[in-house]
Amino acid sequence: MSEPLFEFKNIHVEVEGKKVVHGVSLKINKGEVHAIMGPNGSGKSSLSNALMGHPAYKITQGEAFLDGRNLINMSADERSRAGLFLAFQYPLAIPGVTVANFMRAALQSHRGKDADMTDFRKLFTAQMKELHVDRSFATRYLNDGFSGGEKKRIEILQMSMLKPRIALLDETDSGLDIDALKQVAEGINRYHNDENGVLMVTHYQRLLNYVKPQYVHVMYKGQFVTSGGPELALKLEDRGYEWIEKKVGQEAEV
Amino acid sequence: MNNSATQIPTDNSTYHIPEAALDLISGPQWLHKMRQTARKVFNDTPLPQRGLALWRYTNPESFLVDHNQMVGAQSCEGCNKTTEEVRQQFNDGNLAGLAIDCCGRDIEIQTGPDAEQGLVILPLSVAMDTHEKLIQKHFGQLVGSDTGKFEALNTALWHDGIFVYVPDNTTIENPVHLLRYGDGAKTTYYPRLLIVLDNNAQLTLIDEYSDGSVEHDNGYAYVNGAVEIFGAKDSRCNYIPLQQHTSSTRIYLNHRTRIEQGASTFTIPLVFGSGLSKENFGVYLDGSGAESNIYGVLFGSGHQQFDNHTLHHHRASKTLSNIDFKVVLRDRAVSAYTGLIRIDQNAVACEAYQGNRNLLLNEGTRAETIPELEILNEDVQCSHGATVGPVDPEMVFFLTARGINREEAIRMIVSGFIEGTLSHIPNNLQERISNIVQQRLEVN
Ligand SMILES: Nc1ncnc2c1ncn2[C@@H]1O[C@H](COP(=O)(O)OP(=O)(O)OP(=O)(O)O)[C@@H](O)[C@H]1O
Ligand SMILES: [Mg+2]
Repeated sequence: MSEPLFEFKNIHVEVEGKKVVHGVSLKINKGEVHAIMGPNGSGKSSLSNALMGHPAYKITQGEAFLDGRNLINMSADERSRAGLFLAFQYPLAIPGVTVANFMRAALQSHRGKDADMTDFRKLFTAQMKELHVDRSFATRYLNDGFSGGEKKRIEILQMSMLKPRIALLDETDSGLDIDALKQVAEGINRYHNDENGVLMVTHYQRLLNYVKPQYVHVMYKGQFVTSGGPELALKLEDRGYEWIEKKVGQEAEV
Repeated sequence: MNNSATQIPTDNSTYHIPEAALDLISGPQWLHKMRQTARKVFNDTPLPQRGLALWRYTNPESFLVDHNQMVGAQSCEGCNKTTEEVRQQFNDGNLAGLAIDCCGRDIEIQTGPDAEQGLVILPLSVAMDTHEKLIQKHFGQLVGSDTGKFEALNTALWHDGIFVYVPDNTTIENPVHLLRYGDGAKTTYYPRLLIVLDNNAQLTLIDEYSDGSVEHDNGYAYVNGAVEIFGAKDSRCNYIPLQQHTSSTRIYLNHRTRIEQGASTFTIPLVFGSGLSKENFGVYLDGSGAESNIYGVLFGSGHQQFDNHTLHHHRASKTLSNIDFKVVLRDRAVSAYTGLIRIDQNAVACEAYQGNRNLLLNEGTRAETIPELEILNEDVQCSHGATVGPVDPEMVFFLTARGINREEAIRMIVSGFIEGTLSHIPNNLQERISNIVQQRLEVN
């Protein structure tokens, strides 16, 4: 078996002096789609933020590799340029910075300072069209006054432009209406190929109907407590997390 | 034109204005009287007490000059770059008028086709003859010897200045650009500007202050300026004072506007320069329905020290005022902002808003913000808010998570921060200002 595309081992995360993730590990090979599910507050976003290099979410222990490169000592921008992408659960507004200018700066940073950008406009327009994003968004300030669904769509637009090696999608499905969910899922599927990987955090089966994971992991109180195939998501949808609680009950209680 | 460096005659008291100083300046009798009064007021008025009201943050002594040691500013070498740029804009037909005020001595004026519509731009010394009535009616009404000690200093000693007039029902589409150049070490310059807009007139004016000389360390240059703007009924004025003095210049500028019924004014202070500056932006809303907006941007670096004030004085009912003053500081720059909203007892149904946001790019910078409200009736809507803090780390993370490096992320956030303000200024200037900010963000 060749080297995994993305791998993290025994990751511990601390935020505001609080330990929120306690030693999680995962391997994603090229071409794979994984999903993480788990109750509110179980540490899914903390893990994602920490992997992306958010300074407040400190990795106190553990290792992470992308294409064999050690991510731990990289800053967030280096991780991004190394091919890691995080679609945020709550994308932030940046007043005064237009979507187009932001996107151009991001792409430029990936291509290199002096790289040719003459194709930018064409690329950007094409991606906006594919994701059914109105052209007027190009000149709007990033996420400023965007609806919840619009923000998520713009996150996927960014992913489509940057073509990361691995995409962490933190609840990209939440806040999307039925049509939007489908269009966003199509966007993810267009991006996904045999060479890259997807790690989705979600609460619901409905996204997984469109973007089919090979593996589902359940996060509970800062740990991965069980993993399985797509059927695990269906079981969770059906029965909730109570059985998981019972399963890990005794250890966790004590 | 007097080209020899005139040494101002001496007098006993170190900082007093010597009587003979006024004799060197020509003008009509009434003006000479006004200068004499101002001289007396200046000499007799004690320094403002430090720590009180508008002088909490700046030592008034900083603006005192020993007239024996100073020469009147004379020349401006090195002011060519901006001049050429602005001249080009004029030649391209993008400006209605251009005035190059060299140290209040040599004032060159160019007007385009708008002059045929009645736009007047003249040196004050000339306008004293051609428009004496208009000038006598307005001059010194908003900034004069009773405004304060330093305003009296300007009123006594200003040499020549600029007069702009727009007649009734006239819209001047393109901006008028004034370039006001100070001089080098140990010089004094007293810029003076009078703008009169008649009923339903409309004007955009860029009032740019800088130094003809380069930065130096052999003594300060002192600039003390006064601007008076009168907007008659239903007039609209966009006034954009841009301050770019070098850090070896200390400046004291008072800009005052009075607007009548239905008139509106946009004041957009762009404050970038000077080692130590104290600038006042005040608007009197004197007629029902009058509206004033002040949208400011200040960028400070190095050891720059800023002390800015705004005043919105509602003296008529149903008037509206709004302030959004943005400050960005890096290195060891410090800024104080004091905003006074005054609503008179008989001025009812007014709205007044005031905001001051301060972005501190590193430790070692400091920003103070003080709102002052004097609201003398109940029938008003008024709010004020202020923030002081670093660039939001969440925003930085968002941008860096997309591959943009930290320095560039901060530049983008700062540009975004001031973007909303720049969208209100003429296009040509917008680009220049963005570039100035980008440069100031880059230099280490
Ligand atoms: N910035 C923060 N400051 C303090 N506590 C935090 C911070 N971020 C996360 N936490 C805490 O860490 C724990 C895990 O939160 P996290 O957001 O990672 O959960 P999640 O699994 O993503 O939940 P959800 O499904 O609701 O999005 C929670 O107890 C949360 O309150
Ligand atoms: Mg979450």
